[in-house]
Amino acid sequence: MLRTEHAPVRAPWVPSFRGLGAFFLCEFRVQFHEKISIVTSTIVQVVVLVFVGLLAPGLFGVALVGAIIFSFFTLGGRVQNEAAYVRVDHRLNQLYLASPLTAESYFFGMALGVLVAYLPPIVILFVLAEGLLLMSAATAAVLLGVSLVVWLFAISVGYVVSTLFKTMRAIWPWQSLIYTLFGVLPPVFYPLAYFPAALRWLALIIPPSAAAALVQGSLGDSTLSTGDVTLAAGSLVFEALVLFAFALYWARRTVMET
Amino acid sequence: MTQDAIRAEEVRKVYRPRSGPPVEALLGVSLRVGAGERVALLGRNGAGKTTFLRIASTLLTATSGRVEVFGLDAIATPERVRPLIAVVPQEGKPFFHLSPREQVYSYLRARGLDARTAKARTEESLALMGLEEVANRLSITLSGGQRQRTMVATVIATEAPVLFLDEPTIGMDPFARRSVWESLRALTRKGSTILLTTHYLDEAEALSDRLYIIEQGRVLVEGTSAEIKNRVGGSVRVTVTNGPTASPTFASFGTLVPDGERLHIITTPERLNEILQLALQRHLPATVGPVTLEEAFLSEVGRSIDAEN
Repeated sequence: MLRTEHAPVRAPWVPSFRGLGAFFLCEFRVQFHEKISIVTSTIVQVVVLVFVGLLAPGLFGVALVGAIIFSFFTLGGRVQNEAAYVRVDHRLNQLYLASPLTAESYFFGMALGVLVAYLPPIVILFVLAEGLLLMSAATAAVLLGVSLVVWLFAISVGYVVSTLFKTMRAIWPWQSLIYTLFGVLPPVFYPLAYFPAALRWLALIIPPSAAAALVQGSLGDSTLSTGDVTLAAGSLVFEALVLFAFALYWARRTVMET
Repeated sequence: MTQDAIRAEEVRKVYRPRSGPPVEALLGVSLRVGAGERVALLGRNGAGKTTFLRIASTLLTATSGRVEVFGLDAIATPERVRPLIAVVPQEGKPFFHLSPREQVYSYLRARGLDARTAKARTEESLALMGLEEVANRLSITLSGGQRQRTMVATVIATEAPVLFLDEPTIGMDPFARRSVWESLRALTRKGSTILLTTHYLDEAEALSDRLYIIEQGRVLVEGTSAEIKNRVGGSVRVTVTNGPTASPTFASFGTLVPDGERLHIITTPERLNEILQLALQRHLPATVGPVTLEEAFLSEVGRSIDAEN
């Protein structure tokens, strides 16, 4: 059919995921060819675990949980770099976005492709955690759940940041700034109790440390009050959903450059 | 009456960089492309061709004006236009970690084609672009020309009603360029409409039904290749090497088009002998040929630059 004048025009706040599956598979194939990158994606986490294992073996379990959450968090940085690279270097965003594929599918399909391609090393960490920490099903579910919420938050930030710059060189520093600063400095790899008490609230509203606190609480490694749990869970879910909704809007908004 | 596939009215675009003054890229471009036509936009670097193409293909907002694709507003309702179009971006590159076969197929699937149609179109398109032998190699291992052919194959395979191609044959060898031309002709025979930009004037001449020459954000000339060549004032071209210094000598014989160390004299067949004799007397090497689009382009744009100065 040639004409589409009868196709309804969507309201700006209504997302459409037309073409999502196909673009996810495309991006997964692209990412999966980068095997060395996938294998080395958890190298920082492993190094931290080695240090913790040697220097403070009692904290190894907490660090292992942190490594899993951090791994999901840094996938946002990979989405940021991939989206920027495809746009700046290959200009393929023009090919895909001037087509029936929706901008939401482009963003989320890319993020899903990155997630699935980079899952194997994370799964190994997860199996290790299960074996060493003897997590209950509930704790494992909490770990998986908060990790996915952290991922949702991280990919949303990553995609939005990727659209703000015109060169790759301008984008690179933001990966270190966002993902290292918020993924390593707050209590993600170490117990919440070690964080200054006066800033405890801050740790509970930063997504990776909020997620880590919730898992630490579930493991019984931390004494979280009901208020702490509410603050951590509430802010984690709220921030992720708001950022994700904004990223979907932003993806549509930025198809047409100004 | 032929339906307009693309209609642009007074399209203006002003870029407002974070630092520095605003840049007026388009100063009111109006053009029409009929359904099934192949139309080329010609112009110097920075003339506004790509800016116009990006606005018409829903990738860039216009400062003012209107662009319609099959009657649909490309600026206000881009989501209605996008199913009708496909774009080869300027200097676009395929995913380096996909093979040409994966690139074309996955793109068609992302556009919503069913697996069977996508597979058939992929094979057909790869064959048309002469990519069968490298179809399973990762694009990172391909030459620049092969990558560009992959981009064109990807878009041709869509058989979209309107194709926008920004310098589609850049970096291709002459054989590959001709494959692209033939594929684009075949697509328009099936009913697609093509708007392309190119710096290859032989390509514009061989491929396009009509041409628009854009200069400094405005449409300078519009017409068929023959019509634009006729505007130069003759059908014969005499090219004199080391000619610019001898310009005054030839000024009375026709239109003079300086071209580096060469001078093209556009004239009529009747004056040919006089010019050649004069060149011989002055020991200036000279060649004769029909007027090409290149001379017409240089003449039109050159006149515009002179007028600006």
